[in-house]
Amino acid sequence: MTSAPGGWVIAKDMSDDAADVQRVLAGDVDAYAALVDRYYDRCARYAVRMLGNRDDAEDALQATFLRAYRALNRYQERDRFSAWLYRILVNQCRSVAARRAHRDRVFIREEALLLNAPDRTPNWSGEDEEFVQRVLNELDPLLREAFLLKYIDEMSYEEMSALTGVGISALKMRVKRACDRLRERWERIKDD
Amino acid sequence: MTHGVLRRAARALAPTAALLALSALPAVAQDPDPFAKLENNRFAVELLIDSANAAGLPSNPLREVALQGIAKHADGRKIVDAVRKELGLLRIAREALSTGDEQELTAAASVLRAGAKPTQLSTFRARKKGRTVLEPFIDWADFLQRGVPNEEAYTAITKLWQDGADDDTFHSLWTNVKADISQGLNPGTALQNRIREGPGRASPATVKPPEGQQENQSSR
Amino acid sequence: MTDSELHPYVEWIAREARRPVVTDQAARDRVMAAVRAEPAPLHRLSIWSRLLAPRAFTFSPAGGALLAAGLVGIGVFAGSMALNRDGRMSVGRPPVAVAPQLPVSNTLVRFVYVAPNANQVYVVGDFNGWDTTKTPLVRTASNGVWTVALPLSAGRHTYSFVVDGSWSADPHAPLAPDDGFGHANSVKLVRGGSSL
Repeated sequence: MTSAPGGWVIAKDMSDDAADVQRVLAGDVDAYAALVDRYYDRCARYAVRMLGNRDDAEDALQATFLRAYRALNRYQERDRFSAWLYRILVNQCRSVAARRAHRDRVFIREEALLLNAPDRTPNWSGEDEEFVQRVLNELDPLLREAFLLKYIDEMSYEEMSALTGVGISALKMRVKRACDRLRERWERIKDD
Repeated sequence: MTHGVLRRAARALAPTAALLALSALPAVAQDPDPFAKLENNRFAVELLIDSANAAGLPSNPLREVALQGIAKHADGRKIVDAVRKELGLLRIAREALSTGDEQELTAAASVLRAGAKPTQLSTFRARKKGRTVLEPFIDWADFLQRGVPNEEAYTAITKLWQDGADDDTFHSLWTNVKADISQGLNPGTALQNRIREGPGRASPATVKPPEGQQENQSSR
Repeated sequence: MTDSELHPYVEWIAREARRPVVTDQAARDRVMAAVRAEPAPLHRLSIWSRLLAPRAFTFSPAGGALLAAGLVGIGVFAGSMALNRDGRMSVGRPPVAVAPQLPVSNTLVRFVYVAPNANQVYVVGDFNGWDTTKTPLVRTASNGVWTVALPLSAGRHTYSFVVDGSWSADPHAPLAPDDGFGHANSVKLVRGGSSL
């Protein structure tokens, strides 16, 4: 595992996470804040890159950490907490995206509502983030998901498979397709 | 220089000029990939250009900025920053002027870069067909570069604009103010003087007097 | 874990996307506020209750329990992207860039630079791709006057001179602000059908 600067902290050993989970289950709610602090930024990076805007990402993050809290008693110590959490995160992002797609289809039909639609402009931290995000948004969601898990969160295919419930060869195909699309995109950008 | 002098000079140098003129035509085989010099920074630059296209903004100005940076041996990161800044300025310019014209947007971006405020550009939004902001913006940007305070430059340019001044009028204002500044006059003062007395007066070049002004007929 | 065979552009995209995303404490506080409003998660009371509890979070590919928990399956997700390229709904349509509506015919424009002691003078600008060696000026008979005439399209042109390797703006033309490279440029406005 590599550590992205400011991205996420590698728990010194798994017992940090497990210990915090134990404390929460024993009644210490504030111990959950330690888990949130440890994983929020990394999860945020995935959510923002996946959903393309900050508002939706925050919705997904909120739902993720809430569901994780509710399901904490089902977390098994032998599993990596980050992987367990990510499984919830990936699914929450899918949820939010599906809801958003539905909502936006409704907007297309109703012009009046369209005029009052809130402007979902992302506020990016990096200067080129907006442009890179635009490129990512163009990827089919399933390809984007696989690409992000592989190259942004730098997971192994085994981890990705456990997380998404998709077979390893299917995931490899998605990652390859994502890279192909990006490369094709570059060829078109270059020749413009 | 008058038209006649120019013609004679051009004729005298015609053979050489023709050869040289050909050499200035856009290269076909010379450098097929000028951006290669940017190395990894080219991705950011190309992406910015692509973003301009996606946003319906002109991308040529961005290409030009990159080429200029390469010519000036600027650091790759600086070139990316400059291209990004240009894209931002073009966006603001379009918002303020409500036009898609590449030339006008580039001229507007330039005057913003020189220090004009976006809201000031909106003054020039409504204009009759055939009238362009190119000359006024070029002169405005120049005044800012020479030290005229922005508020004063803006006031002067808009006054002429609203009086219906044509390109020649703006240009002769520029010529006169530049001459005054080079003779040591305070830039803001120089501009104000010239505006007050009417820009068509006392210029060495041939100038049409601004419409509506009867007193300041320049001699031809 | 990065694939060393990645195309450099894809590598670059991945690298940029890996940059941390700025988050604010307020969002995290909202999470904790929501958490505190929840009933406490069930304790693991005994070995027996642990054994008896449904094993919802396993690492089996089926992941059926997750679906049962109300999370969306893959089928709903597919084909749901009907947004524009930015991933946003565009409300108004901003004016699209149009090609300059100026006369196509080129105008011969003379560039003049006075440098009695110079050995080489070039003009460099948007009309020659900012190529510093493409358009030399020629020294005329009179007193260090260098000159060249070029056909330019009507409109605004930015340029500068390079005099024995040094950049120099045109003393007789309006100045354009430095584009970020440390030198101000010069501007010529070529009117359709006339020459300066």
